[in-house]
Amino acid sequence: GRSHHMGMNMDMSGGDNSTMPPHHHPTTSSDHSHDHMMMMMPMTFYFGFKNVELLFSSLVINTAGEMAGAFVAVFLLAMFYEGLKIAREGLLRKSQVSIRYNSMPVPGPNGTILMETHKTVGQQMLSFPHLLQTVLHIIQVVISYFLMLIFMTYNGYLCIAVAAGAGTGYFLFSWKKAVVVDITEHCH
Amino acid sequence: MAMHFIFSDEVVLLFDFWSVHSPTGMALSVLVILLLAVLYESIKVGKARLLYQALMNLSIPTSQQLIEETDQDSSSSDSLPVSRSPLRWFLCHFGQSLLHVAQVVVGYFMMLAVMSYNTWIFFGVVLGSGVGYYLAYPLLNMT
Repeated sequence: GRSHHMGMNMDMSGGDNSTMPPHHHPTTSSDHSHDHMMMMMPMTFYFGFKNVELLFSSLVINTAGEMAGAFVAVFLLAMFYEGLKIAREGLLRKSQVSIRYNSMPVPGPNGTILMETHKTVGQQMLSFPHLLQTVLHIIQVVISYFLMLIFMTYNGYLCIAVAAGAGTGYFLFSWKKAVVVDITEHCH
Repeated sequence: MAMHFIFSDEVVLLFDFWSVHSPTGMALSVLVILLLAVLYESIKVGKARLLYQALMNLSIPTSQQLIEETDQDSSSSDSLPVSRSPLRWFLCHFGQSLLHVAQVVVGYFMMLAVMSYNTWIFFGVVLGSGVGYYLAYPLLNMT
């Protein structure tokens, strides 16, 4: 439903501000190593492709070509993230077809007996759909934190890649969802 | 970079030109961040409204309409009708995607603002989210 759709998008801004290890490049002169550490992490947006560290110590961008490649990779990652969200929604909907009804008699007014029916919709803990959802959830959490960390590099090119990839992914994957999945919801 | 919340009148937020040195500047910055958070909540509601519009343009009755129909005992056909206007549906979906980009960007901006670890800014984000939610969410159910 509507609220479910919006709940999915709330994890964008909820990235935890866990402590980040400061970059420590060994310098020959130790007297201004403190200043050196302060300027390692940019705190304002910039456009550049020299010496841009991307998530891992082995991923350092130094040329325009490498930045272009990184842009494409980040764009695809953000697109994949949106697709994963939509796919999980669809999987959840499909696996919740199993509905259990429990009916029990309860006393009503004037001595009548009423039938109270409880409807339970859900998955069993050890069922394959639930385990699959859990694995996909872990992947989703990891990717969402990666995207947050990429945005935190404050590099303008990479931030644009994240935003554009998210928008394109939403456009492409939500299209199918808006046409197909809501029709099946109507049929239920 | 400070790794704990501090009360300070000095901060540099997001962009090189947004550097605050005085209490007045800080108050203004908190106001801007507050409005940004209000905008974020409004975008979420706006997307849901556009989704609703898109469904209307597909002529698929929402559950609310179905309830109204059964209340009125209407005898309209219930088979899947041809979409009323594919162009309007496409525009709704494209609008949703643009709003999604805006939501992603504003959401990350708010995260980066909180990352400044300035307590006033943090209060602005939290208060703005509350005010934004308070103002925008009732608009969800208005048709």
